[in-house]
Amino acid sequence: MTDSAVAIPSASRERVGFSLNRVGVIAVNTLTEAVRQKVFNFFLIIGLVFIASASFFAQFTFGEQMKFIKDTCLGVISVISTLIAIVGTAQLLPTEVENRTIYTILAKPVRRFEFLLGKFFGSLFLLVLSVMAMCILFGAVLWIKEQGMIRELSQTYLGESQAAMADAQKQILQVQAEAMDKDLVKAIVVDLAKATLVASVTLLVSTFSTSLVFNVVVPFMVFVAGMLRGTAIEMWGGHKLLMAVSAIVPDFGLFNIADEINLGNVVPWSHVVSIIVYGLVRTVMMVVAAHLIFSQREI
Amino acid sequence: MDAIRTEHLTKKYNLGWRKGRLLALDQLNLHVREGEVYGLLGPNGSGKSTTLKLVLDLIKPTDGSAWIFDVPCGKVVSRLHVGFLPENPYFYRYLTGAETLEFYGKLCGMKGTPMKKRIDELLELVGLTRARDRRLSGYSKGMLQRIGLAQALIHDPKLLLLDEPTAGVDPIGSKDIRDMILRLKGMGKTVLLSSHLLAQVQDVCDRIGVLNLGQMILEGDVKTLISDQRRLSITVQDLPDAAREGIAEAVRTAGASVVSMEHPQTSLESLFLDALRKDIRGAGQHD
Repeated sequence: MTDSAVAIPSASRERVGFSLNRVGVIAVNTLTEAVRQKVFNFFLIIGLVFIASASFFAQFTFGEQMKFIKDTCLGVISVISTLIAIVGTAQLLPTEVENRTIYTILAKPVRRFEFLLGKFFGSLFLLVLSVMAMCILFGAVLWIKEQGMIRELSQTYLGESQAAMADAQKQILQVQAEAMDKDLVKAIVVDLAKATLVASVTLLVSTFSTSLVFNVVVPFMVFVAGMLRGTAIEMWGGHKLLMAVSAIVPDFGLFNIADEINLGNVVPWSHVVSIIVYGLVRTVMMVVAAHLIFSQREI
Repeated sequence: MDAIRTEHLTKKYNLGWRKGRLLALDQLNLHVREGEVYGLLGPNGSGKSTTLKLVLDLIKPTDGSAWIFDVPCGKVVSRLHVGFLPENPYFYRYLTGAETLEFYGKLCGMKGTPMKKRIDELLELVGLTRARDRRLSGYSKGMLQRIGLAQALIHDPKLLLLDEPTAGVDPIGSKDIRDMILRLKGMGKTVLLSSHLLAQVQDVCDRIGVLNLGQMILEGDVKTLISDQRRLSITVQDLPDAAREGIAEAVRTAGASVVSMEHPQTSLESLFLDALRKDIRGAGQHD
């Protein structure tokens, strides 16, 4: 380096405001780090194996096989996305503090909120990529099953009477309708909103706790409490303590629309949108609370 | 304008319920002038790292204030021209040396060709050009320290905070870092470094401050401080004959010849240890 050195970049004069660019840089770095950690690959592989194996259960009728595949795959996506949301987010801040990488980042003109948001978005990127990978395999499993069933039906009714052929055609259409069920998209989008909310709860917990175990266990307990929230209110009504807890703990039971879809019940988009809005509002509340705590935290 | 200024900067750490508070830094008034290399010395737990963390707003002061180039340290803009190398730095081990610098460069708003050029220059400066594409997981401790220095310099800051920059580095690497600090000084950078290695501090610092139990117990210009004021050494040249004769006579009487008269210098290490010995306060810092 010469004595003249490189002049301070002109961009440096603008680096005082909130910067989405810095948030993006931290998010991409977080995603890269997460992808290279074996634990996420492990979760993802487990999910993919379960989804792939769902098509091997053939002791049901045609309709039941499709339902079974959809039920299993949506369940696996829900469980794996929740696990990735918790485990992926829980270790973000403790690892940064433990490895002291946070010092070098916050010593730059980086706002704590940008850092926190970057970490959170990195975790969400991972979540979206994982769900996308599972969805692609889910779609492939459905398509393979659909083609297999159509082929089987065609061969079974080949040369049969006109009425039998019409019945076969009806069954084929039913299989195609089951395989191309557009409501599956609703279930997956809502599941993603749920996992995002779970990740935000985990982020909030990790801003005041340095224990990785605590950061995993507490959000999981909050998730379980949130799943049982509706049932508890039905059973015990307006008990003050229950109402207080309900105000804090998100209603995760709301996000469970996969069962309805699998039963063939219609879930209107308006309902889906209202659930997503609820999830987003709760997520924003969690992130704001996390920011308020993290901005005062001693590092 | 001071590069760093603190007034009555105080930090107390909560030790937990019923355990009281630990006074880590007590009413520190520090002035680091622009363009100088300032050494912050002190034993473990004396408050050196706490001072650096307070200046970087990583922790909040219990009392008092700090400024970087007259900007309050609580503001993000105060870190615009600051580079920081923490003690025993860890980085993202899955990134290569060049990727690491790129990450920090982007955080500082750099991009494109100027950033790439800067990365090349810094890798050259810290001697890691050949290891630029190697992942940090394969770097030695000395190499990590050097890439740490490079990331601190990525945005060409005017002020560098170096926390134990040579900790765990072998003597050659240590000398390299010392030489780099001197080059940075030559480029007009202000450097605040904390260190245990007194000989190194003596070589590179213009001024030093010695912290003990959270208080500044000694501060000043290195050359002045290490002069032994109780003795006088004079190098005589062109002395008037009469005076010379008198001195020479006295020396001859003693059976010797005059070569020079000057203040003999003590080492910074002796000065440091002496200062600690004189500071008779106990370890009871809890309030």
